[in-house]
Amino acid sequence: MDELAQLNNFRSEVPVQEDLRAEAERLMAGMSAPVRSDFRRLGLRAASAGGLAAALGVAVFVVQSQPAPAPPPPLIRTVAAVEVLSRAAEHAGSRPELHPRPGQFLVYQSQSMYTAQSEGQIWLTRHKRTIWLPAEGSAVKGVLQEETLAPLPYPGHTLPPNARAEQALVGKPGRPDRAADFDDRAEFLRTDYAYVSKLPTDTEGMRRHLYTQLPFDGLQNYEAWNRVGGLLDESYLPAAQRAALFRAAATIPGVVTVKESQDAAGRKGIAAAMVSPLGVREEYIFDRKTYDYLGRRGVVVDAKLANAPVGSVVSSSALLKVSVADSAPIVE
Amino acid sequence: MSETSPADSAVIARSRQEPEVFAEIFRRHAPEIKRFVIRRLGLDVAEDVVAETFLAAFRQRGRYDLARHNALPWLYGIATNLIGRHKRTEARQLNLLARTGVDPVTEPFTSRSDERLSAQAVRQRLAAALAALPAGHRDVLLLVTWGGLSYTEAAEALGIRVGTVRSRVNRARAKIHEELGGTDPTAVVIGEVRHG
Repeated sequence: MDELAQLNNFRSEVPVQEDLRAEAERLMAGMSAPVRSDFRRLGLRAASAGGLAAALGVAVFVVQSQPAPAPPPPLIRTVAAVEVLSRAAEHAGSRPELHPRPGQFLVYQSQSMYTAQSEGQIWLTRHKRTIWLPAEGSAVKGVLQEETLAPLPYPGHTLPPNARAEQALVGKPGRPDRAADFDDRAEFLRTDYAYVSKLPTDTEGMRRHLYTQLPFDGLQNYEAWNRVGGLLDESYLPAAQRAALFRAAATIPGVVTVKESQDAAGRKGIAAAMVSPLGVREEYIFDRKTYDYLGRRGVVVDAKLANAPVGSVVSSSALLKVSVADSAPIVE
Repeated sequence: MSETSPADSAVIARSRQEPEVFAEIFRRHAPEIKRFVIRRLGLDVAEDVVAETFLAAFRQRGRYDLARHNALPWLYGIATNLIGRHKRTEARQLNLLARTGVDPVTEPFTSRSDERLSAQAVRQRLAAALAALPAGHRDVLLLVTWGGLSYTEAAEALGIRVGTVRSRVNRARAKIHEELGGTDPTAVVIGEVRHG
């Protein structure tokens, strides 16, 4: 027996451990620790809605294939399909720029609606919110102030009892609170100004950024599209990066133009969109004249997958104002 | 792995949107990780280290490289880093075994009658050799032996180069070989029986 075999034998009487209840409990407790995941609230949040999770599961697990190192080749698109993104890229530098310095905060005022669910009940929860995010670094030092708006029924459903708790909060603006208990986003998913102002300014570089670490599992294009949204909502890119973002977004296979759209504040615009694996067309809406980013909207295109009638709106947001502040409100 | 069982990478990708799915990673790998941690640190500390390993993994799942289908090397890497915080416990127990022949780590799993006296000397010398290794060498050596990782996987787990893994294993191996007397102890035992 050589020394490696001897070593393998050493303490080999320790059996594989089957009783892991204590560890499992601690993991569960840690996993359910309150995390205000403001960052993915609009993304695949609806995936956890009853029945939809299973649908997504099928999509994820059946299409599973070998990951590849590079993103798929950009499609040659008709101009019309991506016109809105090209225009948005052209207009990216037409506004006065914000130049937040380290130590300052970017302040985003917005309104949003997204799917909420608890105990098998589903509804649309709505908020007005102001978030102060550090120009540099994680969101943990950010401050969030929210005001609950009247909840709405999930399309095709009635307003469930659990939504009433929200109704009671309407008209009572919340106190400033910590924006996040921890920010465990991967480095490449950071959206603070210091980070995004170092992103590539060329289309190909930005495209590679959007596909960072995405496996070719059939969902990669939608995930890349989702990441575009992550850089639009409550994130502020310098004009050069913003233009590159729109140009890179235009190369993602499956992007279409939606001529008539409307954000959560009722502002009308034109949108670029992609249909999600959950049967929802996820639109990023732009002002028809200035091509400023207005917000987003999720419209059902597959009633079965989305568990709601075709054409109904299951999520929306409106980015109302972005500004720079020297400090954030004190959290009590 | 059957066709219906998704790769770890797919489970982790999904857990980024549905955190509770991460429990599947625990279910798949915690028994093996815990055995590994016990072998290094003993039962008492293992519960903490294993719980912390999976919590850390859960929090880092956004950074997981989805190109790696099997999450085990990643988990071994996290566990090894956490084990590093208990270096003294590890060394104390190895030294105790080396000196006295009593192993506090295996004691809860062994009955007296199980102990094969012929192997006792080897265990003591192995313990001494392991205790004497630089921590980084011990980490690598135990990942490729007890953990069963390939050199590439061990390199990924610890964030070091494959060449470094190879040289550490070789040096650690040479030291253990030396500590065991440069001979095959089993052969010695058999020889004694034959001639004895």
